Amino acid sequence: MGLLALVLAVILSFLSPYFLTTNNILNLLDQSVVVGIVAIGMTFVILTGGIDLSVGSVAGLTGVVLGLALQQFSIPVSIGLAILAGAGIGLFSGVLVGRFGLASFVVTLGMMAIGRSLAYIFSGATSITNLPSNLNDIVYSSFLGLPANVLALLVLYAAAWGYLTYTKGGRTIYAVGSNREAARTAGLNVTLYNIVPYVVSGALAAVAITFSSAQIMSIDPLAGTGLELDAIAAVVIGGASLFGGRGSLIGTLIGVFIMVMIRNGLNLMGVSPFWQGSAVGGIIIAAVLIERIMSGRAGR
Amino acid sequence: MRLRRVPAASLTMERPLLSSILEVRAVEKAFGRTRALRGAEFSIAPGEVHGLLGANGAGKSTLSKIISGHIARDKGEIVWRGAPLEHASTREALDAGITMVMQETSLAPHLSVLENIFLPELGRPGLLSYRRMRSRAEDLLGSLGVGETLPLDRTVEKLSSAQRQLVEIAKALALNSDLIIFDEPTTSLSPIEVERLFEIMDRLRGQGRALAFVSHRLEEVFAITDRVTVMREGRTVASGVETASLSQTELIRLMVGQDIGAVYDTRSQAKDQDLEPILEVRNLCSAPLVRNVSFSVRPGEIVGLGGLVGAGRSETLEAIFGLRPRQRGELRLAGRPFEPHRPSDAVRAGLGFVAEDRRAQGIVPDFSVRENLLIGHLGAHRGFGLNYASRTKDIDNLLRRLDLPSERLLDANMLAFSGGMQQKIIIGRWLLLKPKVLLLDEPTKGVDIGTRASIYSILREIAAEGMGIVVVSSDFDEMLGLCDRIVVMSDGLSLADLPADILDEEKLTLLAAPRTSMERMSRTLRELADVVDGAAFWVLVDGERICCLDAAVTNAAADPGFRAGSMPSIEECHVRTALGSPAGDFVQEPNGTLQTLIVPVRSQRGHDMGVIGITLDGRASAPASEPIRTRVQALFASHT
Repeated sequence: MGLLALVLAVILSFLSPYFLTTNNILNLLDQSVVVGIVAIGMTFVILTGGIDLSVGSVAGLTGVVLGLALQQFSIPVSIGLAILAGAGIGLFSGVLVGRFGLASFVVTLGMMAIGRSLAYIFSGATSITNLPSNLNDIVYSSFLGLPANVLALLVLYAAAWGYLTYTKGGRTIYAVGSNREAARTAGLNVTLYNIVPYVVSGALAAVAITFSSAQIMSIDPLAGTGLELDAIAAVVIGGASLFGGRGSLIGTLIGVFIMVMIRNGLNLMGVSPFWQGSAVGGIIIAAVLIERIMSGRAGR
Repeated sequence: MRLRRVPAASLTMERPLLSSILEVRAVEKAFGRTRALRGAEFSIAPGEVHGLLGANGAGKSTLSKIISGHIARDKGEIVWRGAPLEHASTREALDAGITMVMQETSLAPHLSVLENIFLPELGRPGLLSYRRMRSRAEDLLGSLGVGETLPLDRTVEKLSSAQRQLVEIAKALALNSDLIIFDEPTTSLSPIEVERLFEIMDRLRGQGRALAFVSHRLEEVFAITDRVTVMREGRTVASGVETASLSQTELIRLMVGQDIGAVYDTRSQAKDQDLEPILEVRNLCSAPLVRNVSFSVRPGEIVGLGGLVGAGRSETLEAIFGLRPRQRGELRLAGRPFEPHRPSDAVRAGLGFVAEDRRAQGIVPDFSVRENLLIGHLGAHRGFGLNYASRTKDIDNLLRRLDLPSERLLDANMLAFSGGMQQKIIIGRWLLLKPKVLLLDEPTKGVDIGTRASIYSILREIAAEGMGIVVVSSDFDEMLGLCDRIVVMSDGLSLADLPADILDEEKLTLLAAPRTSMERMSRTLRELADVVDGAAFWVLVDGERICCLDAAVTNAAADPGFRAGSMPSIEECHVRTALGSPAGDFVQEPNGTLQTLIVPVRSQRGHDMGVIGITLDGRASAPASEPIRTRVQALFASHT
């Protein structure tokens, strides 16, 4: 996948001289933040063999929570409340899936409808625009030459990668997706680590919508619509198996970049935005096809 | 292991020597990297029962599935009635007249017995006549002797595994095929049901059908087959040899390619009987399959849970390991009470469990071999991190001990290795944790003979170091060769706890018979005991010992002193004089307390099924023996 991203970058830099400028690269990274953060949680969930369709709605709902909280509380407290709300929703879905064995597709499909509906109700179906002006500091203040949101993206990826690679919980998430029964027989806590990914996914949906809200300084109950599909696409392009057990955060990050580059490149070349869907969709199918061919093992 | 020889009369029926109805030539089949078949040959004639033998993983099931159209061959030729057979599906095989009785049941659990028997009919065009199906099904089950105990409308999920096997057989018989392949049909059947099945096979053979009998139970092979074909590691090593011309030793040598004596290490010296048990199980109950199980394991001991498929042996291990909820019973590990609610409790307390289904419960396919070895450590580990480094040295030692090459192994994928290798790795996973007790369920299923021998010697070795080992195996030969003691289980109950060296396959089979299929026998014994106001028992006499299969006592004064499952020496029995005397009349014990009539019994096919004894109070006046003998023999014959 890394190779594909590189090839894509080279092609695009030939097609558009503007592509490889510092400005455009920062622009690419900036556009990756929201999908990228949500895709971390999605990777966790997909590694266990599940799927989280609710992230878009959870982002919308937690955005509204953030907006309402900001009317009364300080910025850190409000962000904390939004993340807590996202984690709580994730916990609810996670318990239904991990403890009661319901299908994640169905549970999160239901949560997707509920989340969006609550977002409308709490917001009164209108945008919240009277946000404190220093909220956008979390996006635009810069450290080490990088905007804060891009830095947050990279730090979150590094932390999540470390967790999945070097901790008992991370390895258990992989084992649950690869063979739940074997993991249980080996004494791993499969119920807990089947729930944790949904909590992470819900919490990160709230983090993502916080950055997005701070950037546009407006909160809309419709925000985050379709985000789940972009996140799933990034994970799949990144080489994860939807059956669970296989995939990596590095792959997911590259998947995010590939999607953003295609959109950005097509824009730069002046191609009609209506072609973007076809291009991204084609890449998704190609990625799954490649994954199947590469892992052409019997019985899988 | 002893054999029950069938009287020659039942074998040598007038059979004209016919040419083969089926010829299999040089068939090959690979699954991924595993070459299941590499040159299989097989031919069978109408009117014969042809044994297809081989050790685990020899390829007999694969070959059967190819013949019956369940899987496609890679290479080779199959000739059916003189024409090449190119069927692509079981449907075409059925239409050609080839049926297979599957080993792992292929029934639809939510459908009724009747619907399952006629499942293949559903694939044919046209309407179904339930009325005609029902009457045919009644005939079929009647001929299997289970007409009354197997209601046609019951759904299959509610049946015992023996009953399912019988439905599977009825389903094959309903098709009226010319070639029927029985793939290990007897693994969950009681001896009485096996007799019944053999009778039917006899009859089908008489009708000129070709029957292939896949098995690794040698005594059954000698009892029913006319010729045998032996397979080893995917090749046919003996084709169409007359069964009568082979001895058991020769057959074993053909199957395993070496003398079986080398496979099992010599049993270690007598265990120290005074050692405190390291694992004690008392009155364990885990519904629905484990009803009341008690046994104990001392350090250094290998204990087998013996019984038929469906007796609740695997479920017992799973309940001990915390994989199944327990309703009752007490577990003690190293003297301390032990109540695992989930496997991690058991792992931390010092238990290891090698599950039966390696793929489903053992291997984590996306992990490297190294991490597959370490996953038990991960289960026992309490920290946040991995702490893999602490095990590096242990892994090196372990691999050396298991005789596995570390350099090409550790980073590779588990699925790239043979079943035997995988099993060693799964066992290694637990050895790494140095458990107090290791539970193994079918440890050599799908494992080649060479690796089997090395698994046996590893188990012996770790037992010698003081670990307690519990083994479940359906291979009675393996149980007898490997275990120090065998706890016989049937229908979720532990019935007997006996040293392995006084048992043989035959006794184990009879002891392990499901209580449900022995129920009529028990009732008969109770009736007899009631009629004479004494006791009635069914035992096998084997030299100096008896093996009691069942006993009913109505009058305590006539108690013979043994119960189902016990194996006292004749000297210890209250009725030793009677047991030692030739059968005839009531025999009085010298002390005058008991008098006993011994009646030898045989199955309808003439098998020696032991003796029935009727014991009375010594002071009572003995009734005439002849009517009782006639009655016992008639009752017995009608029940087998």
